[in-house]
Parts: sequence; structure tokens; C-alpha cells
Amino acid sequence: MRDRQKLRLVLLVALALTALLLIVFGPMFLGRFSLNVLTRSMIYAMLAITVDLLWGYTGVLTFGQAAFFGVGAYATAMVLTHIGASPALFVVALVASVLVPLMLGLAVGWLSFYHGSTPLYATVISLVVPIVVTQLVFSGGTWTGSSGGLVGYETLPLGLPGYFRLSGACLLALAVLAIVFVRSDAGRLLVAIRDNEARVAYLGMNPARLKIVLTGVLAGVCGLAGFLFANASGVVAPENAGFVFGTELVVWTALGGRGTIVGPLFGAIGIDYLSASLSGDLPFLWQLIVGALFVAMIILLPGGLASLVTRFLKSANSSSTLKSLPTRIVKDGALASKSLLSIRGLGKSYGSFAVLKGIDLEIGAGELVSLVGPNGAGKTTLMRCLSDGTQQIEGQVDIIGTNIAGRAPERIVALGVGRKFQVASIFDSMTIGECLKMARFSRERPNPMRSLGEIMLPAAAAEILTLTGMADMLAKPVSRLSHGQRQALELAMVVALEPRIILLDEPTAGLTKTERMTIGTILKKLTDEMGFAAILVEHDLDFVRDISSRIVVLHQGKLVLDGTVNDVVNSETVRTIYAGGVHG
Amino acid sequence: MTLFLDVVSTAAILFIVAAGLLAIFGVLKIINFAHGAWLTIGAYCAVVVSGFGLNPWLAIPFAFLIGAILGGVAERFIVRPLYRRPLDAILATWGLGIVIGQLITLWFGRDVQFTPALLPGTFDLFGAGYSAYRLFAIVAAIALGLGFTLLLDGTRLGLSARAVIMNETLARGLGIDTEKVRLTTFMIGTGLAALAGVLLAPLTSVDPNMGVAWLTGAFMLVMVAGSSFGALAVACLIFGAAQVLVSIYFSPILGGITVAVLCAITLRIRPKGFARA
Amino acid sequence: MQMKTMILTLATSAFATAAFAEAPIKIGVPVGLSGANSVVAPSVVQAAELAVEEINAKGGVLGRPLQLEIADDASGAAGAQKAFDSLVFHKEVNVVISMETSAARNAGLPIISKGDVAYIYTSFYEGKSCNANLFVDAWVPEQQVPPVVDNFIIKQGAKKFFLIGSDYAFGRGMLSFAKGYIKKAGAQIVGEEYLPMDGSDWTAIISKVRSSGADAIITSTAGGAPNVTLTKQLRSSGVTLPYGNLAVDEGTAKSMGADAKDIFLSASYVTGIDSPENKAFLSAMGKKFGKDLRTPNDLSVPQYEAIYLYKAAVEKAGSTDTAGVLKALPDVSFTGPRGKISMNKQHHAPLTMYLGQVKGDGSVAVVDSFKDVDPGNQCPNL
Repeated sequence: MRDRQKLRLVLLVALALTALLLIVFGPMFLGRFSLNVLTRSMIYAMLAITVDLLWGYTGVLTFGQAAFFGVGAYATAMVLTHIGASPALFVVALVASVLVPLMLGLAVGWLSFYHGSTPLYATVISLVVPIVVTQLVFSGGTWTGSSGGLVGYETLPLGLPGYFRLSGACLLALAVLAIVFVRSDAGRLLVAIRDNEARVAYLGMNPARLKIVLTGVLAGVCGLAGFLFANASGVVAPENAGFVFGTELVVWTALGGRGTIVGPLFGAIGIDYLSASLSGDLPFLWQLIVGALFVAMIILLPGGLASLVTRFLKSANSSSTLKSLPTRIVKDGALASKSLLSIRGLGKSYGSFAVLKGIDLEIGAGELVSLVGPNGAGKTTLMRCLSDGTQQIEGQVDIIGTNIAGRAPERIVALGVGRKFQVASIFDSMTIGECLKMARFSRERPNPMRSLGEIMLPAAAAEILTLTGMADMLAKPVSRLSHGQRQALELAMVVALEPRIILLDEPTAGLTKTERMTIGTILKKLTDEMGFAAILVEHDLDFVRDISSRIVVLHQGKLVLDGTVNDVVNSETVRTIYAGGVHG
Repeated sequence: MTLFLDVVSTAAILFIVAAGLLAIFGVLKIINFAHGAWLTIGAYCAVVVSGFGLNPWLAIPFAFLIGAILGGVAERFIVRPLYRRPLDAILATWGLGIVIGQLITLWFGRDVQFTPALLPGTFDLFGAGYSAYRLFAIVAAIALGLGFTLLLDGTRLGLSARAVIMNETLARGLGIDTEKVRLTTFMIGTGLAALAGVLLAPLTSVDPNMGVAWLTGAFMLVMVAGSSFGALAVACLIFGAAQVLVSIYFSPILGGITVAVLCAITLRIRPKGFARA
Repeated sequence: MQMKTMILTLATSAFATAAFAEAPIKIGVPVGLSGANSVVAPSVVQAAELAVEEINAKGGVLGRPLQLEIADDASGAAGAQKAFDSLVFHKEVNVVISMETSAARNAGLPIISKGDVAYIYTSFYEGKSCNANLFVDAWVPEQQVPPVVDNFIIKQGAKKFFLIGSDYAFGRGMLSFAKGYIKKAGAQIVGEEYLPMDGSDWTAIISKVRSSGADAIITSTAGGAPNVTLTKQLRSSGVTLPYGNLAVDEGTAKSMGADAKDIFLSASYVTGIDSPENKAFLSAMGKKFGKDLRTPNDLSVPQYEAIYLYKAAVEKAGSTDTAGVLKALPDVSFTGPRGKISMNKQHHAPLTMYLGQVKGDGSVAVVDSFKDVDPGNQCPNL
């Protein structure tokens, strides 16, 4: 493992050095044609990297990068055409070519990403943007040159070799930054969003905002590429901003290998350079080959050409060690007496069908409340209403004195609520250690440059890992975990948020007896010793009896019983419900 | 009056172009980005038919047939493995569109071609002459809409398709051969796209990339319409009207993006679009 | 089909060049094989092929054969940039001779300057494109617009003009000249509308024409497809006003079929020119291309003549060296199908202009002709 990782690092450094040598000495032996085309290809490669960050890493399929590129290029060309070209104005052009796309990117991001938006919708918007930009260029008359584009403005006096080196340097810098970033803790967050956006939100981070910022920043990068292009080529045309160019970028990224940075970089340079050299001789055939290859690649090898290489170099991410934080016991007087959760008159309907009716419930610190009832009683819906304030409900839910109405999940997490889902919701392409790191990012800003070796966890979370034997295998990919380990990992992640209230939806379903015992012990410890409040949806009545401090029975959307374990176990009502309903 | 006819006929053309895409998206939840390529195939069918000196109306059944057959092949080999990866399906069908475009270029050359008018001249309606062909487009769109309603409500295939739309697992449980429903739907969708290509050809010029210009508009309309033909008709009328008005009172260039922009905004406000509106 | 002829001619030209010992002189021809210009581009390529074949058959230029390097510029700026890059830097052509859209020409010019090759532009255009390396042997608005407008105002009594164009340098340039000329003649402009170069839906503009009360239409679209779609849609919506088309050539008019009937055009070449040079040219074209022949027209004939003009300049300069060729180009002349052509007026050429009207079968009837019309002051600084 270690060796492979080293090999990978050495390879990357060697690659970067070779690239640097090529950039510096290339102009000495490359012909004018190659220099010219490669300059352009390298600028395009910068765009491919932004597509890769959005699509390959974050899972947002975008055709819109061409639009930001076009806006940057047009901003430059318009400044140089209509205002003039002096050193100061080149700076103005540069700033405009980054800032204008950046603002546009933020606006597009805001339009594309919101709580509950679908990936398809973001793709739809990314399609509309280049079309709108192109049409605006068309309707710009002499301002934008309409169909003819802008041409004949003064450009930076660098000459072919100068532009080659400048573009190469920018590309190399971007690629290195991108690689460092995606391997860092903050970069892994992109993958977390791709894997499981809901979980990111329920870890207290706002995935929509992260994607908006990412879109904006990458739009700025595209704008910078546009600045280079407008100068190097001396021509900007509506096609540069168009939807077809946007799809080309995606094709290069896909062929090169999404999610690898280096793959799309070579994909863009390779295909664009080959196109320029070959399209004169076999124009249609070449396009045909690229198209066919693309289709085959999507169906058969979604990882692109790079996946053939990385398959052999794949290494688990750097192994990390656990570090326990001092336990914060929240049994202080002020909070202990107050109720942490207060539900008044809660009702929830889907269409004309009422799932919950008039629920009233108060839960205080240190309580472990079990929610029981047959299937369809509304237990999971109740959990959802407690953890997502954007749900339309009747009545009111307060968490530690704050009404949660209108708050998206991440803002409820901030109030001190952790939610564990029925089916373990973790990040499937990560390791145990990485999943745990993600859980801490709402408290500690992730490092954008490095992947830290230490994972700081609250003692309770660390204990869960120790009890389930996962503390020693932090580098293990979660895809290889057993069902029970996945459940425990999610619980550890939720506990790592240091919540006041934990919502658990059937944490023991499908677990072995021992695993169940372990989880029970942990839960009791969290509530009894550390002052958490926990609400537990559970079918296993024996388990409920062992650990609960209180039991609440739901039946057909109504709260029918709320009492101690003994009250409920001996209740006639409960027996009738369970005898008539589905067993537990 | 002319304005009214412009609106209705523009909506009709949009409806005809989007219908095939909707049929596929509604049932399969897959966006066929090669839709534009099928429009092109249809238009070239019209070129071939008129090249042989046959009656240009023959192009309509001919294109439907060719479109459906090619659609069947595409469904089997390209779309079928991707039902679980809808975003990849967009890409794969886009790639397929590139391939089809290049094959057409190799076969017919890349230059622009023209087809003879199906219905030349004008038709007197309410005292003013109006392009006969655009009037015909309105009739064709209505016929298409009614045809679909009949197909969905009155046939076994329609019943199965509706079952698949509502709940695919359940449909399979009820013994519906979902694979066959998908294949048939895809073939109908692509057949319709090719048919739309024939109808478009006399209005514009025919070249290997002609379909792309129509793709995004149709795509946006389908996103808004969801899986209902009624909603599609409403969307075409509203956004078609907006397009005509913007074209006339502001600029025809901005008119071209009206549909896309309004659809995007509609979706942001109402993610379900016009479905169940 | 077209591919086949192209491969065939490439093969024959390769065969023909084998007879020469010297390296060939490469002529780059970036042209819109796809996109708006694709309707006329094949005829331009055919004309170039004939010129090269004729010259090579007679011993080439300075003992060296000519060789065509054809590249598709997709009729637009972005495509032209790629095509010029490839021709100038990759194929390293000696000269660029081509019919293109103004968008493509403008995008190509910086590359021409960087690579320092001569560039003969063979398409009529909006005028005033000036570059030390650029020569033009086709008409500009000063030569072409007056015949059409004069005819409409004087002969047909038109008072209200509606102008329609493609939104790029040529469309806007032609119409802005026409606008000035019409106003000076005392008539009125009741509308001026543009669509992007590859736009094909003219519905909204046609509705405006109908409600504007115009009694004549002047159009200036990108050559080829937009021209055809506009004409078809005008005709199908029943517009029968006098229709002057500033961008139509005989070949495009043919592809419009019956819809083109009665269009007025003004051109420096029509197939009906009665001169021995034109007859020889037409028969050579017919013999070489047979049934694949695209109608020779006002865009393809200047291409044919430009190759001869280049030949003359190289022979005068004694080499293909760019500086020498540029110095010789204004001084040489060639008598071709359009008569004697010399680019002696600020890199532009005085031309004989014909006012024509399209007949039902797509051929053009000459209504009037004007001898050696001066291009005016296009580039006073050259």
C-alpha cells in the first residue's frame, strides 16, 4: 500500500517536471502550427479540469463551462476593442474576465442548487446558460460583433512562444492546485457531495452553498482561460461560448477519465491537437471516431482512459490515526432542567392523506425515548419533520427553544440535532477515516491543501469505533464493511457532530445480537452519562425495554401512549395494536 | 389575426418537435439527446424521397419507419445499459447524435440541402392570406396530440405505458413486459422525431447539424411538461406565444432564447413544471 | 457523392503534379463547405480546380505546379481560425485565395499577417477591409447597390424600403450603405431587421414586413442557406413586393427553385455574358465536371480569375516570395469570364456590373449593364 502511494506521488511529480520542461523548452523545437494549436489545447484543458471538478468529483454534469469561458473571452475582447489597449487596460480586462464570469457563475449556481434541487435540473440550467450567452452575443450588434465575433483588437505582445509558455504555466498551476485540492480534506468534501448529498446536509454542511461557491470559483477560472484565449488567438466568436463547445468539453473529460484531473487534461490536449492535425485530411471520419469512442466509453468504461492506468495505481488514502477530544458533558444545570425538544400540535399530510395528527411531545436532556408502533404509524415521517424544517407541517417544533420552521437540515444540525437514517447513510466511495473526517467539518474548517493524519473525535464517537473494532482499520473502504459496521459507523459520524439530540431510525435492524448489545450500551452511555437526548424508532420491543427511559406509542399518526417502560409494556392498548398490526 | 396565427402555428411546430422527446422521457425517464439527430434523419428522408422524384408526402410514413427502426437498434445497444444512469444516458445519446451527424455528412455531404414545399402558397383565412403550410402544421399538431391521447387511453400498450410511468416495479409485478414497453416507446419516440424532421424540412434548410438547434427548446419544454401531453400542449402555447411576442416587439434573436429561459425559471419556481398544474 | 469527386480530383491533381520536378506552389482555399456558405462553396472549389488544372497543363507557374489545399471554415469566425491556422502554419501554403464570409475573413486576417502570406479574397463583401496582404477581386457596395436601388425607385416607383440582413459585417455593411444611398435618393426606410448568420426562422420579421407598408424589400444575408430560407418563407407567406437581393448569386438562385422568380440581383458575373472567354470557361467547366457541375456564379468566377491573377503576379515577381508577389499584384491583370480584371484601385478592382432578374427556370435575365464601375475609395492608406 505504502509503496504504491509513493509510486503514485513520484509519478505525479515526474509528470509535473516533464510538463514544466516541455513548457519552457517546447517553443525551441515545436513548429509554429504545433505551438499555436497546443497553446489553444492547453487553454481548453484548463476548462476540462473545471468540468472534471464539477462533474467527475462533485457529480454535477455541466455543459455550461463554455459560457463562462466565452464571457471571459468577450469581456477581454470588448475592453480591448472598445476602450483601448494600454498596460492598465490589460489589467482591467484581466480583472473583468475573471470577475464577470465569477458573478455569473454565482448567479447560475444560485439558480441551479437549492435544497431539494435535482441533478438533472442543474444540467438543464447548464444547458440554458451557453444558449443565453450566445444569443446575447448575437444581439449585441457592433458591441459584440454579433455572428462575426470580435477581431483586430490589440493583444498582449508575447508572440507564439510567449503565449505557449503562459498558457502552459497557467495550465500546470491549475492542474497542480486542483490535484492538491482534491486530495485534501476539503477536496474530499466534493466527493462526499457526489456520493451522498443528503448526508452532507445532515452533517451540518450546506451542500447547495458549497456547490454554488464551487461553480462561481470555477467560472472565474474559465474566465481566466477566456482571457488567455482572447489574447492568444486575437479572435473571439460566438461559437466559443456555445453549447456545442460545452458538450465537447464534457466529451474530452469523459474520454480522458472523469475524476482524475490528469485524465481530462490529456483528453483535452490530445483530442484537440489530433483534431487540428487530422481534421484537414479526414474531417468526418475523425469526428465519427471520437463520437463512437465516446459512446462506447460511457457505456463500457465510465472511468475513461485514465481508469485503465489508475486501476494499477489505486491506493487507499493516507492512513490516519484517531485522537479523542475531551468529552464535553452537557449535564450543566441550565440545560438539564429545560426540555431540549418540544413538539406542539404537529400534523403532516401528503395530499389528502394525514400521516401525523396532533402530536405533542416534550423531551429533556438525558432521556432515551423509544418511538414504537406498527409499520405506517408515521414514525419515520415524525423523524423527518424533526430534522428538516422545510417540510410543510401543522403545529410547531422547537429545538432548545428555537422554532425550526423553514430551516433546512444543515441549520437544524447546527441547533444540535443529529440524525441516523434507517439505511446507513455514509459515503460509499470513501474510507472509514474519511467518513469520520467529514463529520467534523461543520465544526472545524477542512484544510484545502492537505489531508490531515489525525482525526479529532469526541470520546463517545471514538468509543463506538473501538467497541465495534473499526478504530484500527480507518483506511478500510466503507464499501467493504458489514451491514452492522456501516450502521455503527453512521452512528459514530452522528455522535461526532456532538449533538444534544440524536434521532435514530431503527439502528439495530438486521444486526446480530452482539452488535445490538453494543449499540444499546453506547446509547445508554450517551444519554445517562453524557446528557444527550435520544429518540429511537424501534421494532424490537425487547431491545426497547432494555434501554429506554420512556416509550411513546404511535398508531395511525396519533400519539396513543407516552409513559415509562412498565406503563407501556403492560398496556392493553399496545397489545391490541400489535396483535392487530404487523409484528415488530 | 396574423399574430394569433403566428402564435398558434409556432406552438404547433414546437409541439410536433417535442412530442417524440416527451414520449421517451415520460415513460423511460431518459432524455434522448440524440433527438436532434433523429430530426435530421427525418429531414434527410424527405430529401431522399424528393430526390427519387416521389410524392413528397410519402416522406412522412417513410421517415417514421426509418426513425423507429434506427431507434429500436439504438435502444437495444446504447440506451438499455444506461437506464440506471440517467446522466450518462444523456451523454451517450449525445455521442450517438454526433455519430449520426457524421454518418449523414459522409453519405450526403455537409452542404445545406432543400426540400420542395409540401403545401406551397397561402390560404385565405378570415380574409387574410396565411402560409398554408403553417396552417397545416397546426392541424398536424392537433392530430398528433389526439392520436397520442387515443394511444394512451385506448390501447393495451398505452395502458402498460401508463403503468410503467406510475410505478415500474409494480408494473413488472403485474406481469407487464417492461423491456418491451420501453423498446416500443423508444421506437415510437424516435419515429415521431423523424416525422417531425420531415415536417420541419420545408420550413428551413436541411443540413447534418440542423437538429441541434431544435434540441434544447424541445428539451426544455419536455422538462416543464413532465410526462403529460396535455401539459406539453399548454407549455408550447404559453412559451410559443412568449417567443412570438418577444420576437416581434423586442428582437427575433432574444425570441430564440425565450422558451429556454422561461422554462428554466418555471422549473426553479415549480420543480414539477406544468405536470399536475 | 461530393466526397467522391473531391477525392477523385485530389488524386488526379497528385498525379498531374508528379510530372513536375519542382516542389508545388500551394494555394490554400479556406471555404465554407459546411454552414451558411455550403450552398455556394462547392462551385468555388470547382472553379479553383479548373484554374489549377488549366495552369498545370500548360507548364505551371515558373515551372512549378500549383496544388490546392482546401479547408472547411464552417462559414464562421471560429472555424476560419482553425482553417487558417492549419493552412498557414501546418500546410505552409504560399498564398491563400478564397471566397468566404466576412466573419471568416476577419478572423483569418490576423493569421495571414502573422504568417505573412498573400491573401486574395474572391467574395463580394461590405468593403473597407484593408490589410497590406489582402487583395480583393470582387465587388463592394459602391459598385453593386446603386443599380438595384435606382431600378426600384425610378422604374418601379418604390418609396418605402424594408431592409433585412444577417447580423454580421457583410449584412450590416451592405445595408448601411444601401440605407444611405436610398435616403440620398429621397426614398424612405420603413424597417431594418437582422437575424444571426445561421438563423432560419424569419417568421417574426416577415410579419413586420407585412405590417410595415413597405413597397420594396432589399435583403443582404450570408450567402447560401439563410438566403434560401428567407426567400422561401417570404414566398410562402405571400409577399410579392419587388425584392432586391444583394447576396444572391446565380447558383443559389437555382437552388431556390420557383421561389426565386422575379428576384432582382446585381452582379459582376452572370452566365449569360457574351464573350469568348466566358464561353470557353463555361465549356471547360461543363467538360470537366459533367453532371456534377455546380452553376458557375459571381462567387466562383472571381475565385477562378484570382488564381490566374496570382500566377501573373508570381511570374512578374519571379518568385513566390510574399513581398514580391504583393508588390506585383496591383500591376498585373487577367482577362477572364468577367472581362479584364486588375486589382489596381487600392487593392480592389473596377468591375462591369449587371442588373439581372431571375426567371422561372432559375436563370438570370440581364436587365441592364454598367461598364467598369469604380470601387471608390476603399483603402486610401494602402
